[in-house]
Amino acid sequence: MRTQPDMKHCLIVDDSRVVRTVAHRIITDLSFTVSEAGDGASALKQCQSQMPDVILLDWNMPVMNGMDFLVSLRRSDGGKAPVVILCTNEKDSDHISEAIRAGADEYIMKPFDADIVRSKFDQLGLV
Amino acid sequence: MQDTTFQQIAALALRETGQDLSPAKTYLIEARLAAISRRESFASLDDLAHCLKSRPNPRFEAEIAAALTPKKTVFFDDRDQIDRIVSHALPELLKASNTGRLRIWCAGVSTGQEAYSLAMRLSELDESPLRQADIELVATDVSGQAIGAAQLGLFGHFDVQKGLSIHRLLAHFERQTSGDWQISKTLREQIQFRRHNLFDPAGPLGRFDLILCRNVLPAMSQDKQIEAVARLNDHLYPNGLLFLGKDESLTGLSEDLEPSRGVRGAWCHSQTVRKTAAA
Repeated sequence: MRTQPDMKHCLIVDDSRVVRTVAHRIITDLSFTVSEAGDGASALKQCQSQMPDVILLDWNMPVMNGMDFLVSLRRSDGGKAPVVILCTNEKDSDHISEAIRAGADEYIMKPFDADIVRSKFDQLGLV
Repeated sequence: MQDTTFQQIAALALRETGQDLSPAKTYLIEARLAAISRRESFASLDDLAHCLKSRPNPRFEAEIAAALTPKKTVFFDDRDQIDRIVSHALPELLKASNTGRLRIWCAGVSTGQEAYSLAMRLSELDESPLRQADIELVATDVSGQAIGAAQLGLFGHFDVQKGLSIHRLLAHFERQTSGDWQISKTLREQIQFRRHNLFDPAGPLGRFDLILCRNVLPAMSQDKQIEAVARLNDHLYPNGLLFLGKDESLTGLSEDLEPSRGVRGAWCHSQTVRKTAAA
C-alpha cells in the first residue's frame, strides 16, 4: 500500500506467491510502493479504490485472467492511465501481439530477473 | 593457478589485445579460458601455460587473448548516444559529405548488440536525409567466436529482454524453436562483421566517418590505450567523429583528438590535425 505520497505505486498481479514475492522485492528496490493481487478480479477491485501507476500482470490466472483484466481495466474510469507490463510464460509472437493490441505497454517473458525488470521500467521512463 | 601461469597469461593478453589483467582478476581468467582449456583437454590452466611455453603457437595465443577480452554487451546500452548519432551526428556528417555515402565502424562490437541497435534505429527512421544515404556499417571484434555469434544474430531469452522494447523485439526478431530469437535477415545483411585486432595496421578496413568504440579502452593498460586511440585515429576521416562508452575520455590519451564542439559526447580531429590534413 502507498506509504509515501511521492513514491510511484506498482500493483503486481500474479497467482504465484513466489513470483509476487520476487517481483515485489525487485520493484521495491526501484523505489516503488508495491501492492499485490492473486487474480484479475481482486486486482480490478484494488484499481477501483486506488489506481496504480504501473501494473505487472500475469496472463494465466484463476477467477479472471490477465487479458480479461486488461480489457476491463482499459474500459474503466481512469483505466487508461496505468502502464501495464504483461509478465507471463507465453513467449510466442502471437500472444505478444495480442497483449499489445489489448492495451499492454510492455511485455516480460518469464523467467525474469532484476535486470530485465529494471530495463523495462527504464525504457518506459518509470525510473 | 600458479603465479607464473598468471604472469604468462597476463603478458600474453597485454601483448595481443592490450588488456591489463590484475592478479585480482584470476577468477576472470579461469572463467573465460575454461571452454578453451576443456576443448584442448588440458587438466588445468597451469598445463595450458606450460604447453604454450614449450611449444609456442601464435594462433592459439591470439585465440586465448581474444577469449580474455570483456564480452558483456546489451542492446541500446546508451539510448541517448544512439539518438544523438542518428538524429544529429550522421545527418551533419552527411551534409558535409559530397558523396552521399557514410561509413560507420563499431570497433570491439563483441556479440553485435551495439551494431544491431544502430541498424535497428536507422531502419526505423521515417523522415531523415539518412534514408537516401548510402550507409556502410562495419562491425569488428578481436574474438572470432564473438564475431561468429554476432553474424548469426541469435540471442537468448535474457539478452533480448534487456535494452530492447517488446515492439522492437516483434519488429526485428523471429522466435526460433530453440527459444532463442534471431534478428532479421535484412538487418544481418546490413552489417559487415569481421574479425579484427585494433592493433593491426590500418589496412583493409579503410577510413570511417563515424567510429564507435565503447567499453573497449578501459580494459587496456594506458600505453595500449594510447596506441589503440592512435589506430582509431588512423581510421577516421578528417571530419570524422569518434564515440566512446559512458564515462570514457581521451584526456591524456591523444593530442590529435579533442571533444567535438558540434556534437555532444563525440571526439574529432583537433584543429591542428585538420589544418595539416587540409594543407
